[in-house]
Amino acid sequence: MKRRDFLKTAFLSGAIASAGWDPFRAFTNQGRRDTSQKILILGFDGVDPHLLETFIRQGKLPAFAKLWQEGDFKPLGTSIPPQSPVAWSNFITGTDPGGHAIFDFIHRDPQQYLPTFSASKTEEAKRTLNLGNLVLPLSGGEVTLLRQGKAFWQYLEEYDIPATVFKIPSNYPPAPSKQRTISGMGTPDILGTYGIFNFYTTTAAEVQKDIGGGRIHNVYIIGNQIEAKLPGPINSFKKDRPETFVNFKVHIDPVHPVVKISLPGEEFILQEGEWSGWKRVEFPLIPTQSVSGICMFYLKQVRPDFKLYVSPVNIDPANPALPITTPSSYSKELAEKFGPFFTKGLPADTSALDSDILDEKEFLTQDDFILAERNAMFDYELDRFESGVLFYYVSSTDQRQHMFWRLIDKNHPSYEPKLAKEFGSAIEKIYTEVDKILAKALAKIDKNTTLIVMSDHGFCPFRYSFNLNTWLKESGYLSLINEWKQGQEDLFLNVDWHRTKAYAVGLNGLYLNLKGREAEGIVTEREKEALMREIAHKLESYIDPTTGKRPILRAYVTKDVYHGPYTHKAPEIIIGYNHGFRVSWTSPLGGIPKKIVEPNTEKWSGDHCMDPSVIPGILMTNRPIKHSSPHLYDLTASILKTYGIPIPPTMRGKPIF
Amino acid sequence: MWAFNQAITWLFKIIFFPWEKLHPWWGMIYISLLTGLFMLWVFRLTSNQAGIKEVKQQIKAHLLEIRLFKDNMALTLKAQGRILLCNLKYISYSFKPMLVMILPLLLILIQLNFRFAYQPLAPGERTIVKVKVKPGFDLLQMPISLTSSPGIMVETPPLRIEEGGEIDWRIRAVQEGHHLLKIKINNDQEVEKEIFVAARGARKLSTLSPLRPPSNFIPSLLYPLEKPIPSDLPLQDIEVIYPSGNFHFLGLSLHWLIVYFLLAIAFGFGLKRIVGVEI
Repeated sequence: MKRRDFLKTAFLSGAIASAGWDPFRAFTNQGRRDTSQKILILGFDGVDPHLLETFIRQGKLPAFAKLWQEGDFKPLGTSIPPQSPVAWSNFITGTDPGGHAIFDFIHRDPQQYLPTFSASKTEEAKRTLNLGNLVLPLSGGEVTLLRQGKAFWQYLEEYDIPATVFKIPSNYPPAPSKQRTISGMGTPDILGTYGIFNFYTTTAAEVQKDIGGGRIHNVYIIGNQIEAKLPGPINSFKKDRPETFVNFKVHIDPVHPVVKISLPGEEFILQEGEWSGWKRVEFPLIPTQSVSGICMFYLKQVRPDFKLYVSPVNIDPANPALPITTPSSYSKELAEKFGPFFTKGLPADTSALDSDILDEKEFLTQDDFILAERNAMFDYELDRFESGVLFYYVSSTDQRQHMFWRLIDKNHPSYEPKLAKEFGSAIEKIYTEVDKILAKALAKIDKNTTLIVMSDHGFCPFRYSFNLNTWLKESGYLSLINEWKQGQEDLFLNVDWHRTKAYAVGLNGLYLNLKGREAEGIVTEREKEALMREIAHKLESYIDPTTGKRPILRAYVTKDVYHGPYTHKAPEIIIGYNHGFRVSWTSPLGGIPKKIVEPNTEKWSGDHCMDPSVIPGILMTNRPIKHSSPHLYDLTASILKTYGIPIPPTMRGKPIF
Repeated sequence: MWAFNQAITWLFKIIFFPWEKLHPWWGMIYISLLTGLFMLWVFRLTSNQAGIKEVKQQIKAHLLEIRLFKDNMALTLKAQGRILLCNLKYISYSFKPMLVMILPLLLILIQLNFRFAYQPLAPGERTIVKVKVKPGFDLLQMPISLTSSPGIMVETPPLRIEEGGEIDWRIRAVQEGHHLLKIKINNDQEVEKEIFVAARGARKLSTLSPLRPPSNFIPSLLYPLEKPIPSDLPLQDIEVIYPSGNFHFLGLSLHWLIVYFLLAIAFGFGLKRIVGVEI
C-alpha cells in the first residue's frame, strides 16, 4: 500500500458521513469579559532559534530585534518527540503527551499492526436505511478530536475571558467551545485526507509516476478540447460507495497558450503559468445533497504537452461539510469577509513540490497566496482584538524550511548550487515575512498586553534517513516471513509477528510486541522493562559505519518522561534523532528496506523530528522571562496565571512571568 | 425596434430614478408594489368581476355541501364535480386579464432583469468577454482584437473556440465607472460593448446589460439596453459575464424573480380590498 492510498483509505470513508454534524452546535458567542490584561500570541511554526538569531544579528528582522531588546528571548523547550501535533498539544493543554495522548503524527492499531492517524477519528452514521442502492443515514456521522485534556481557551471560557484561536494545530475538529476558534494542522481536505492534488497531463511518462499526495490523470486533446473529471469524496449515500466527481472541460486556443476551463456554473480563462484563484466545486451525492469544496487551478503548460495542476480540494469555509470552527458561523463570517480561503491544515502543497509537479517558483507562489490570506485575516483579528487572548498561527515558516533547507545546506545530498542561487533565500524571506507580522503586532499592543512570540520547535537538516524497522530486524528484534522479500512491502506485510519483539510506527515511536496488547504479541510484562532498556541502550550506542556518526542521540523510555493518565497508551520508546538524521520515509508506515541508513535525496530536506535538545523552539516576549529553561507547557500555565485562574494539578507547566 | 426599446428603457429609468442611490431591495419593493397595483387595476378593468364573485360563492356553497352531506357519497362526488367546473369557470374569467397583462409584464420583466439579475464588476475583479461569430467565418483567419478604455484591462490574447464560433478574452476591472470595450474586426470594422464597474461595498441599484444583441427581433427585444450589432458585421453578439445579483434574506440566496413575484403577489392580495378588486 502506498502512502497516498493509506492516507486516502484511512480518512475517506468517514468524511461524508460526518456531513451530518450538528450545524447548530455552537451558535454562541465567546466570553464577554473585558480584561485589563491582554495576551497576544504569535505562533510561528518551526522558527528556529539559531536561524532567528543569525538573521537578527544581520539586521534582517527589525521587529524581532526590537522585541528582543525591549523584552526577552530564550530557546523554548519542545515536546518529546518534537512533532508539531505533539508540541502544540503540549502548549494547548499545558501537559506532556501523557496528559493529551498525542504521541506522534501516526499511532497504530495494536490489533492489526496498522498505522492510524493520531489527531482525529471519523465515523459514519451508525444507523442507516437502505433503499435499493441508496443508503440514507438515520443518525449523524461523527468526527472526534483524539487530543485529550482541556485546552487553555476552554479554561478561559469558564472565567468568561474571550479568546480567538486561529488555526492552532491539533484542534481538528475544534474542541467544543464558545470561543472563536478555527482548526489548523490536522484539518483534512474534502476527501478526508491531508491533501490530494490532481494533475492532468498528456505526458505519458508523468502518468506512470508513482507519487504520494496526488493523483495524475492522463488526458487527451480532441479538437482543442479536453474533458476531465475532478475527483471528490466517496459517496456514502450509495451502497457501492462510488467516488464523486465534477466534470470539467478545457478549451485550448489553437495558437496562443491560453485556455478556458468550464466548471459547472463557472468559466474562467488562464494563460500558461497562471493560477486561477479559488474556484468553488459542488460534488453531487444524491438529489438535494452535495458537498461543496474549493480549489485552485494552475495552468503549468499548454504545449507541447498539456499540464494542469489542481490543488487539493479544501473544505469550503462558506459551507463547510466538516466542522472547522467554533462557533460554526465563524468560518462563514471569515468567508464573507475574505472570500474562500485555505482550510486544509497544512495548506502548502509540499507533495506537489516533492514529486516535481510544481517547481520551486510555483510552490513559493502558492505559499505566497497562503501568506497573503493569513496576513489579511491577521489584520482583521488584530484590529478587533480588545480583550482576552488572541492566538495567531503561521504554517509557512515550517513548510518552507522543510522544503528549502537543502538550498542553504551545502552538505545536504539534495543541494543544487543553481537552485540554491535562485531560491536559497526562501527561508530567509519567510522569516522577514513573519517579522512584518510581528511589526504589526508591536504597533498594536499597549502596556497591558503581553506579547508572546513562540515556535513549537526549531529546524535542522535532514541529510540521512534511518530505517528503524531495518535496524530492529538487523538487531534481532524483528523477523521477516520471507527474507528475500525485504524492502518490497509496507505495512509490516512481511513481518513474522510470532518472532518479533519490537516494531516502529510513526516518525519517532517504537512499540514492543506485547502479549495481551498486540494481536500476536510475544513479549511478556516481565520481559518488558529489561527489553525496553536494552533496545534504548543499543539504539543510543549505534554508530552508522558510513558517516561514523550516531544517528540516535537519545532513546526515551516514555514511562520515564511522560506524566499523566495516557502514558500507558504511548509507544514504549521515543527516538531522539541526532542532528542531520531522521527516520526514513518508509519505516513510519511499516516499511523495512535493506539499508539501515540512506542519504535523503528528497526535496523535503529540513526537519524537526529529531531529539528535542537539537531543535528547541523560540520564545520571545515583551516581559522578562523568569524561567531559566521554559517549555511549551509553561506558556499555558502563564496564560492562566495572567488571569488569576488556578493552575490545575494535571498541568505540568509552571508560569514563566 | 431600437426606438421602442429606448423609449421603454427611458420610461423605466424615470420609474426607478428615486431609488438609484439605494440598495436594490428598495427598488424591488417599490416595483413589486407598482406591479401589484398594476395587476389589480388590469384585473378590475378586464375581468368579469361579478362573474368571479358569483363563481367564488358557488365554490364556497359546494364546499359547505360536502361538509354537510359527507355521509352521502353520491352528493359529495357531485359537489366535487361542481367545484371543478366552477374552478374552470374561474380560470376562464382570469384568462382575459392574464392575456392583457402578459405583454406589459414581459416588458417589465425584461427591464427588471437588467436591474436586479446582475451586479457590476468590482475593481480588481476578472471576468470573460465572449464574442459569438456568425456561422461560416473562420475564427483562426479572422483578424480580431479587443481594446478598452483605461478602466478595464484586457489580460489575455483571444481564445478561439471553433466549436460554437466563440472568441473569449479575460478582462480585469480597474476603475469604477461606465467603460467601453472595443472590438476591432478585419482591421476596419469596430463595435463597442458597454461595461460597468462599481465598488462592491454598498450595493446600489444599477442598470447593466450582459449582452449586446444581434439585430434580430427576439434578441433585440430581450436585450433592449444596447443597440443591436449592425447586421453587416460578422459578429452575432457580445457578452460580458457579470456576477449574479441574487438577493439575500435570512441566509438564503434568492433569485430576483422569486423575490419579485412573491412581493408582487403579496402586495396584490394585500391591496385588493383597498382597490376593490375581486380576485
